[in-house]
Amino acid sequence: MSVLEANHVSIRFGGVQACREVSMAVGEFEIVGVIGPNGAGKTTLFNMITGFFAPDAGTIAYKGRDVTSMAVHDRAALGLGRTFQNVGLVKGATVAENLVTAQHLQADYGTVSGMLGSRPSIATERRLRAKADALAGVLGLGDLIDTQVQGLPYGTLKRVEIATVLATDPDVLLLDEPSSGMGPEEAHQLGDTLLDLRKTFGLSIVMIEHHVPLVVRVCDYVYCLDFGQLLTEGPPLDVRNHPQVVAAYLGEDPDPAAVALEHQLDSLVEGN
Amino acid sequence: MTAVTATEVSDEERGNSQMRPAGGGRFRPSPIGWLARAVIWAGVAYLVLVVPLGQSPTDVQQFTRGVCYAVVALSLNVMLGYVGQISLGHQAFVGVGAFTSAYMVTTQGQSFWMAVFVAAAVGGAQALVLGAVSLRIRGLYFALITLSYGLVAQDNIFEIQELTGGGAGQQAPKPQWFETEWRYYYLCLAFLAIVLYVDWRMMRTKSGRALLALRENPRVASTFGINVRLATLFAFVVSGVFAGLAGALIAHNDTQVSVDVWNFNLALVFVIMTVVGGLRSRWGLVIGGAFFALLPYLIEKIPGFDELLADIPWVPRVLTPEIAPLVIGPLLLLINLIQFPGGIGQQLRPITRWLGGHRFDIHDKGPKEVQITDVRA
Repeated sequence: MSVLEANHVSIRFGGVQACREVSMAVGEFEIVGVIGPNGAGKTTLFNMITGFFAPDAGTIAYKGRDVTSMAVHDRAALGLGRTFQNVGLVKGATVAENLVTAQHLQADYGTVSGMLGSRPSIATERRLRAKADALAGVLGLGDLIDTQVQGLPYGTLKRVEIATVLATDPDVLLLDEPSSGMGPEEAHQLGDTLLDLRKTFGLSIVMIEHHVPLVVRVCDYVYCLDFGQLLTEGPPLDVRNHPQVVAAYLGEDPDPAAVALEHQLDSLVEGN
Repeated sequence: MTAVTATEVSDEERGNSQMRPAGGGRFRPSPIGWLARAVIWAGVAYLVLVVPLGQSPTDVQQFTRGVCYAVVALSLNVMLGYVGQISLGHQAFVGVGAFTSAYMVTTQGQSFWMAVFVAAAVGGAQALVLGAVSLRIRGLYFALITLSYGLVAQDNIFEIQELTGGGAGQQAPKPQWFETEWRYYYLCLAFLAIVLYVDWRMMRTKSGRALLALRENPRVASTFGINVRLATLFAFVVSGVFAGLAGALIAHNDTQVSVDVWNFNLALVFVIMTVVGGLRSRWGLVIGGAFFALLPYLIEKIPGFDELLADIPWVPRVLTPEIAPLVIGPLLLLINLIQFPGGIGQQLRPITRWLGGHRFDIHDKGPKEVQITDVRA
């Protein structure tokens, strides 16, 4: 049974059809790759799955439940975690503060009891901090735990972001270009990390990724988008060698309007 | 999915702690360092607790006003500093709190404690109603809504004879046991301490962290499972409760509340003192609030200041006690913009950190350094 499903979702922004009838399914403990040229609508698809945009048509189902019109924070509460293309972190805070903030829903004390400094709230805070330390350890960030996020190298930020999204206690992880800003060596390590995380935390992962060797190595299944439509899907090697995929990557230029739009929408969503 | 516990990954943790550079342990002051800190602490305590005992009642009343304004600054800071939204109608929140408390005591014959509680509750309720309808919008438009609310309150709520006592104003006697200016001063200090404690706890728990996250990036905050609109509304209510409380304290300090002081000028002074004091810096906010409350008093205290100004023909007579905060405030604000976005709090941070048992570092600006772009209008 699939954990996450997009059924024929379409969305249009003015004159650009950013996604048209896109369907995808993510099975439990599966790692699914989403590839495609710039402006293909990959991030837009993520934004519809996580709730930043409502699709014009089609539905999003999560764990057999229709979540198409559910708010972002409610989907997060159900276990849908995501990262952003331009790093979704609270940059003025330290790594530890980000990791603790991300555990918002696991802080099980009442707001007022927290504000009065009740004992359960202090005990819970201590537990959240311990989990933050543990997660930082898992991603090799132990030394940076009390460092401010702003100013860390980009590749490190990407790892901090993964630790942070893990702190939200997700069942499905949506990663938007996790290896961007990383060298081939680091990207290879990231592959190991992702495979480990799936095993340790029992995750299903969907990742938008341009680094093809990484996709081929870790993904069980790959969807390729182009011009907002599903070009092809299948096991990674088949998709990579698919003539249309090769053409899409090497051949015609993408619609510049679509590229510009997707960039604009990204910066809108990420508030940068 | 299984929750990660500290023990599950303790191996990695240990590995990391070994990689940590030597000497990175926590700084501990020497005994002499502790003594020096204790002396400064004692000096501050002496200034706040003992010095007022030797002053005249009218002076102490001014100090009490300083304490009340510190509560106002902390109230505004919740919106301005933590959420990054400007409230230009805060004088209405404080004013309604003042009138509510006076009304409860004088007309309804309730006790002071009941009146203060009701004033704080009314402050929160105002924010809840105004926020519920207006917090769908943010930034400049939210500022404009609060601005209009302040004006509406001025022309309508403050015109209710029953509540405000009309032109004569509403009487607000000091509570039993706290009739003298000195005792009431300590009572207000106790309330300030409570507000400081609640604010401190809030920022160390999930509700405060949610505010900091959503100020910087509401979309990321929502992926953390934070209900951005609800959290903002919550902050507004907290701000309203603090404002109502501050209003009640001001009312019983003046022992009489009149309508004409709760105007837009006051809202500006509130915003300026909060920013000059330093967003997100409790020390700075308290000092900023107290400074602006005492500014008219301080100017009157300067011997011969009036005559001095009168002797210089081309200086406009702007530094009257009423107008002074609105002249000196913007000047200090300019210094903020250019040099210290974090206001007094930022300038004092090396000292406050040192007092808290950390190493003295003159360049310490703090991890939550205020930036001019913090408040998005």
